Amino acid sequence: MGTLRPSLGWFALLGVAILCMLIGASAWMYQIYEGLGAAGYHPPVMWGVYIVTFVFWVGIGHAGTLISAILYLFRAGFRTSIYRAAEAMTVFAVMTAGLFPILHLGRPWKFFYLIPYPNWRLIWPNPKSPLVWDVFAILTYLTISSTFLYIGLIPDIAALRDKEKNPIRRQIYANMSLGWRNSDREWRHFTRAYLFLAALSTPLVLSVHSVVSFDFAMALTPGWHATIFPPYFVAGAIYSGLGMVFTIIIPIRKYFKLQHYVTLNDLDAAAKMCLFTSLVVGLAYLTEFQVAWMSGNTFEQDYFWNRVFGQWAWAAWIMLICNCVLPLSLFSQQLRRNTTWLWILSLFINLGMWFERFVIVVPSLSHEFEPWQWSTYAPTWVDYSILLGSFGWFFMWFLLFIKQLPVLAIAEIKEVIPPRMKHPFLSESQVLEQHGMAGPIINDPPHSGGLN
Amino acid sequence: MQGVLGGFHEIDSAVHAIEDLGKHRFKDITVYTPTPRHEFEEVLARGPSAVRRFTLIFGLAGVTFGYWIAVWISQYWPIVVGGKAIATWVPYTIFGFEVMVLIGGLATVYAMFGLAGMPRLTTTVGYDPRFSAGDFGVWVETTADRADEAMEVLRRHGAREVRSER
Repeated sequence: MGTLRPSLGWFALLGVAILCMLIGASAWMYQIYEGLGAAGYHPPVMWGVYIVTFVFWVGIGHAGTLISAILYLFRAGFRTSIYRAAEAMTVFAVMTAGLFPILHLGRPWKFFYLIPYPNWRLIWPNPKSPLVWDVFAILTYLTISSTFLYIGLIPDIAALRDKEKNPIRRQIYANMSLGWRNSDREWRHFTRAYLFLAALSTPLVLSVHSVVSFDFAMALTPGWHATIFPPYFVAGAIYSGLGMVFTIIIPIRKYFKLQHYVTLNDLDAAAKMCLFTSLVVGLAYLTEFQVAWMSGNTFEQDYFWNRVFGQWAWAAWIMLICNCVLPLSLFSQQLRRNTTWLWILSLFINLGMWFERFVIVVPSLSHEFEPWQWSTYAPTWVDYSILLGSFGWFFMWFLLFIKQLPVLAIAEIKEVIPPRMKHPFLSESQVLEQHGMAGPIINDPPHSGGLN
Repeated sequence: MQGVLGGFHEIDSAVHAIEDLGKHRFKDITVYTPTPRHEFEEVLARGPSAVRRFTLIFGLAGVTFGYWIAVWISQYWPIVVGGKAIATWVPYTIFGFEVMVLIGGLATVYAMFGLAGMPRLTTTVGYDPRFSAGDFGVWVETTADRADEAMEVLRRHGAREVRSER
């Protein structure tokens, strides 16, 4: 245990991440100076790369809580080895997502107007607006998922504290573990609190992306006004999150030599879940087309035709191939257990899910009701730089996390391992008799399974 | 705080020691274990954690506040749309739910801290770093005149190390 010296490769990756982040930050500064026109907004397409990327990162953030909370409640054993990385991914992804609505504002320094608090303006946000629902949902999700991550880390940070030789690092770990001592009293309240947090987080996962989907579904725009959006978004979010879990856990597994902890069986189980969510997402795509076809609404029909065979066919087909065709390879057990293929596939999943959000946002706005409104959309270098910057921001935090804190849940992995026993097959009274003590102290019946 | 600490390699030895300490009327026992073990929960019989009460009470307070703030804002700053209610409970369920999870979740964590006595400034008395690595510790809080008796019980059950601390 304890932390290893950072390798040159880690520094190189961190440097690349920081460079990307600085490129994004510079582009944002330029946009603040020049105004939102620097981004590729062109009426009627006034939502573009920023909102696409916002939904993308919120989606990435969903697998973490799914793996850590929902699978915890279902006692799925394979989560133990991957949930810490997934939880950290969630927190950093939601931190990244939260930047985009602010980036999208013309005057980003006034974002706090969205928070309901007593103010001298005597103005309050509109509680019927999905944008205000977003603020509540995302802030709650960020707070609860970071709390969940931190609470789970406390026993592991205490273990690091107890192993650490460097006094400064030891003191930092001591402060971060809040004086955790592994006492039965601490564990008793910890296990309950963790269970309740998992129980609260489970519906939260479902609610957050449902609320994000309301940003679209509440509008009358063709392609958006559909009741299927909440489950479709939730399934897509879990799918994209699992894709990102593979993207980050497979290199970590290889470079930190964690093959015995993150086993092929764990990856196989996660790949099956990925395949399942891919099928759900594919079904949602088909349902959208079917509903448009059967609705008799020419605007809807025209929009979906334009999406797949018209102006945006290239984006729609990237989405369909990456999200519906390539994941079918996971029906093969051989490919599910091939980490190289899983990693390559995960990149396609990330790409496909970004394009899914692009296909939802841009074609709808560029092809609304009246033909004279129809337009096109081309992102500028500012959009691309900020998109790149978001990846830099995310990976910078993630690299710092895996360097300083345990990427595997040490306590939970220990929990799986049977504890050492002196007399694994004897009851207490039998032990006492063996020790030559006068008679059994308590009348417990002999049992063959030992105390465990 | 004064007492005796016993370190065990094996879980069954630690469990038997706790049972024996109970027979010897040592009441104030703390167990250190690297992972939560049901064996200790059974032998110590502490009862359910009170964290759940905080989760329930603050969750209910959160849902109430969430609905209330949305309704109050609508009444204070009405946005009048013909045929639509000024305040309506269906969309405000989002506020109720989110604030319930937020307040209920945070209350759960603070309750855990409060009930577990965290944050703690020192871990020195009655703790050993080996207890986070794999060993089990039994700390018996006792007066100096009964320390020898407690040490004897711990040793008899196979404690690898027994020491008196204060």
